[in-house]
Amino acid sequence: MRKRRLALLLLAATLVAGLGAAYAASLTVASGHLWAGSQTLTKGTCTLQGTSSTTDTYVDEQNPTSSFGSTTTLSVGPKSNKRTWLLVRFDLSSCNIPATGGADSATLNLTITSAPGSSQTLEVSTIQSPWSGSTTWNTVPSTGSAFATFTTGTTSGVTKSVTVTADVDALIKSSTANYGWLISEPSSSSNVSTLFGSSENGTTGNEPQLVINYEK
Amino acid sequence: MKLLAKALGSTLMLAAACAACGAAATLALASNPLAAGNAAVGSCGVSSLNATRSVDNAGNVTQVSIPSVPSACAGATLSLTLVGSGGASLGAASAPVPAGGGTLTFSSFGATVPAASLLSYSFAVVGP
Repeated sequence: MRKRRLALLLLAATLVAGLGAAYAASLTVASGHLWAGSQTLTKGTCTLQGTSSTTDTYVDEQNPTSSFGSTTTLSVGPKSNKRTWLLVRFDLSSCNIPATGGADSATLNLTITSAPGSSQTLEVSTIQSPWSGSTTWNTVPSTGSAFATFTTGTTSGVTKSVTVTADVDALIKSSTANYGWLISEPSSSSNVSTLFGSSENGTTGNEPQLVINYEK
Repeated sequence: MKLLAKALGSTLMLAAACAACGAAATLALASNPLAAGNAAVGSCGVSSLNATRSVDNAGNVTQVSIPSVPSACAGATLSLTLVGSGGASLGAASAPVPAGGGTLTFSSFGATVPAASLLSYSFAVVGP
């Protein structure tokens, strides 16, 4: 009799264990959320050049209240007390890139119309406050630290390229993220200057240019 | 003693049978809610997600933000895959949806992802 009871007990225990395993498995799946989707990106290129999209000028330490927003060339010079700095920015609105888009790459192209006698190393900084073509040395906007440099060489007619991807990406997301770029020369020993074509230059290819490869 | 041996033998056979039943039941029960798409597997209110990303000056993705994740997804895991040409995964990240939902921001993808190579995002919300 005792042996029969033991046998029945074993049978019952086995059945309960089997059912328990099946029940636990169904609980795991039935309690979750499940969703999947995707977002496809569209790629494009936008090139900005000319007075309709470009604001540019330079400021002159020797003439601290004068503005040069309509000159055909833009000067960068390092000489102490005679420093000149170039300012340039672009209006991205004609590219029609939504604020949810972004720059894959962006390149600022500046063409040297008059090269210095000896090659100079120029710095590029992001401008952090508003300015206009009427800006002077006394009202020059604030900038961040230099994030890029390039050398001028000694040959006129050469176009220099600066990668500005991060700044343009930020500009796409917010039109007030930054205000373009300032080109300066840190050395104060040379009494030379480099001239770049401005948006009013009139010679095709001499104007500042911004090329944006974007996604949206 | 013979009776006990018979009982043990029967028990072993039943145990094997129940184990098989259990395995079959596991598959059947686990797949039913998914196949039927019934209320047991919900989407927690997600109908679509859209991401925005930032890049560094070299054009590599530094951050991806996914706004408007429904609060009903709190506790679920949101997985993001950055997809390139041919559907290849360029990088991936996942994180639990916080209480209240909102915006999830990812800044590490297991690899450097050039924005120019990024063609689409894939999203998945799973659990809890």
